[in-house]
Amino acid sequence: MELPLTYVLGFSALLFGIGLFGALTVSNAIRILMCVEIMLNAVNINLIAFGRYLTPEAATGQVFTLFVMTVAAAEVAIGLAIILMISRRRDSIDINKMNLLKW
Amino acid sequence: MNLSGVLFLFVALITLVAAWRVVVSERIMHAALWLALTFFGTAVAFLMLNADFVAAAQVLVYVGAITVLLIFGVMLSGATEVRGDTNMTFWERITQSKGGNPVRAILPLLAASAFAVLMIVLYHLADLRIYPAESVITDTPHAIGLALFDTYVIPFEVASLVLLVGLVGAIVLATREEGE
Repeated sequence: MELPLTYVLGFSALLFGIGLFGALTVSNAIRILMCVEIMLNAVNINLIAFGRYLTPEAATGQVFTLFVMTVAAAEVAIGLAIILMISRRRDSIDINKMNLLKW
Repeated sequence: MNLSGVLFLFVALITLVAAWRVVVSERIMHAALWLALTFFGTAVAFLMLNADFVAAAQVLVYVGAITVLLIFGVMLSGATEVRGDTNMTFWERITQSKGGNPVRAILPLLAASAFAVLMIVLYHLADLRIYPAESVITDTPHAIGLALFDTYVIPFEVASLVLLVGLVGAIVLATREEGE
């Protein structure tokens, strides 16, 4: 007996939906970073699931997941550095107040 | 319904609740801790999909490093909204940040749920050819290592370059300027 593929795909779709909802609604910059991480995790689950069920002899899905993790780690480091700089200069990390480039 | 299906649905439920709490919890520190639980649930899901090396990497990188990094970010940014406004519910906060317009607050919910439902329907309709479970690789570190240093050497080196640039960029951005 093995795990049905639809369970895994449904789980990852719901997880991505929650992350998308958070990234669209929340106005705190750090929390947006967290929601982006949730979405990347959902994508990773999809990669692993498709790799496991559709190409079981190759490790391609898992290798790609490792690349996604690398980019996610770099993204969080840079994103947090930018947020820290903004909070130091403007004493706020509310994205609705970051409107210097708005016409 | 088999045992592994029930077990997976249980883990999935915990992970989804944790992810939802990341979005709606009032204090951002609580959100960071719920995020750690989300990452851990994902790692368990990886383990159930026979990806043990990636599950270990997930625990190390996400639960270990990224959560700690986010908590450091929360603590180092002295902004007032980090502590959270405990008097308002989630929907009041959303509508207020969207300019008091409830339509603009409900739109993201519609978009996200529409996306999730669309994807689930598509997966149901798709004609996926599933291979038998006997052919799944069990020695994943071996296979991943071979693939990384054979087929995917150039992406691997580019990934290390991305990490180096990220490291330097984060240091440059976060250093205090003179006379600030």
